[in-house]
Amino acid sequence: MIEALQFEFMRNAVAAALLASLLCGIIGSFVVVNRLVFLAGGIAHAAYGGIGIAFFFGIPYMYGTIGVALTAAILMTAVAIKAKNRSDTFIGVLWAVGMATGVILLDFTPGYHTDLMSYLFGSILAVPTADIVWMCALGAATLVLTLLFYRDILAISYDAEFARLRGVPVNTVYFLFIVLVAVSIVFIIRVAGLILVIALLTIPPYIAEKYARSLMTMMILAVILAVVFNLTGLWLSYNHDLTSGATIILVAAAGFFLSFLLDFVLFTFRKNHSHKNGIPPEKA
Amino acid sequence: MTNENPIIRVENLYFSYNREPALADVSFRVEEKDFLAIIGPNGGGKSTLVKLILGLLEPDSGTIRIHGKPPSKTAHCFGYVPQDVNINIDFPITVLDVVLMGRLRQGGRFSMNRKDRHKALEVMETLGIRGYAERKIKDLSAGQRERVFIARALAANPEILILDEPTASVDTEGKTELYHLLRELNETKTVIVVSHDLMIVSSYVKSVACVNQTVHYHPNNEITGAMIEMGYQCPVELIAHGQPHRILKTHEDF
Repeated sequence: MIEALQFEFMRNAVAAALLASLLCGIIGSFVVVNRLVFLAGGIAHAAYGGIGIAFFFGIPYMYGTIGVALTAAILMTAVAIKAKNRSDTFIGVLWAVGMATGVILLDFTPGYHTDLMSYLFGSILAVPTADIVWMCALGAATLVLTLLFYRDILAISYDAEFARLRGVPVNTVYFLFIVLVAVSIVFIIRVAGLILVIALLTIPPYIAEKYARSLMTMMILAVILAVVFNLTGLWLSYNHDLTSGATIILVAAAGFFLSFLLDFVLFTFRKNHSHKNGIPPEKA
Repeated sequence: MTNENPIIRVENLYFSYNREPALADVSFRVEEKDFLAIIGPNGGGKSTLVKLILGLLEPDSGTIRIHGKPPSKTAHCFGYVPQDVNINIDFPITVLDVVLMGRLRQGGRFSMNRKDRHKALEVMETLGIRGYAERKIKDLSAGQRERVFIARALAANPEILILDEPTASVDTEGKTELYHLLRELNETKTVIVVSHDLMIVSSYVKSVACVNQTVHYHPNNEITGAMIEMGYQCPVELIAHGQPHRILKTHEDF
């Protein structure tokens, strides 16, 4: 791996992996504790419509995807606030319509297109330096906003009604973070693909949530886990010439199951341990 | 009763959910240092009334004034303990962080300062939960969690404390303790409690508001026949204390 770093594409890949980890750990924790995984999936898939639009109208790819991702994110969130009980259906519809629009628009566009596979699994080994710069900016913005609004985010995620009573501008802060979710998703898709973005947004925060005592530690732990999964996956894919995105997902999935195993072992150990000391086992 | 400056004044209040009327022509006043119980059947509009007073819902018509101001301007007057203290139970949050939520927008704009922390710990001390400060909220019993939420409500030192069914998940002993605590708090604050436990209510509160689409305010703590005539479904405690005429009345409707 170290000698591989002499190649620019590999340095970029490592940088992209680290930045994606930072975004996924923070934004993913927000997504997981607010139960927005389905919404995040919807944004990611609908963004494919943006690729179609970009190619059809001949505008830069990034404008198309960010535009569509933001529109979808804001529509979905507005519906989720107005009509809580039906929002999943609406997200499902936008999810499918976005993708279908992308596919049809690409059909109408003459010439060769980026294939669906690279959109699904990304191409972390082909990230241009310009994207790294953008991701740096996005990572810095996410860090600053999270630190500034940490107490508000915590209150909104835990008990939005109470936060509102205490004078927190709940909807404004919520939309601000939904915008961050949408933009982050677009950048991570670009480097790592649609499937990886969902896996990375959910798996590290999910594992972290079990061991963390606060949202802050959950975010930090999730970033660390994402770094471990990303770099391990990258190293394995480089050494064994495997598709990087898919390798990273499988490493993350292995981590996911390992954490289950660890829980089980810890639970059994505690049970036996407390039995030996004559203390009844803790109630779960 | 005819004080010119009640702490809460509600007049001709109407509210409906999707054209389904929930409250109609509601008028009553709450005096300072009152200990008011809001009772009534499920779906009668108790929680709705509380949310209107808090400013979390907008009335269709009518006025609510807290110290003469609309609820949208008086959120800081209230300490609110919601009905469900088990929401988001798996959330990674410590007891202290939950109580600190009560200090939002009190001290620093963006972060909590030492004063906020001090106040939070002080309130937790009075409620006997200071020792749990660094525990995860999930690891507490329901009764302890109820106290955490009361501490959160008190952390901003509100004038009015509103609790929505605080005893729903607490055992009988815990209920008595809780009402003792509320009586103590009532020495300095106005306390409003939504409750089902008519018997416990009658021995602690100063006044009762019966809510069933409309509100009947009773400036004393007796559970009268009139309250029962309002057509409740049966609160278990009442049946146990034998009021058979009302059981018959309720069932005639069916």
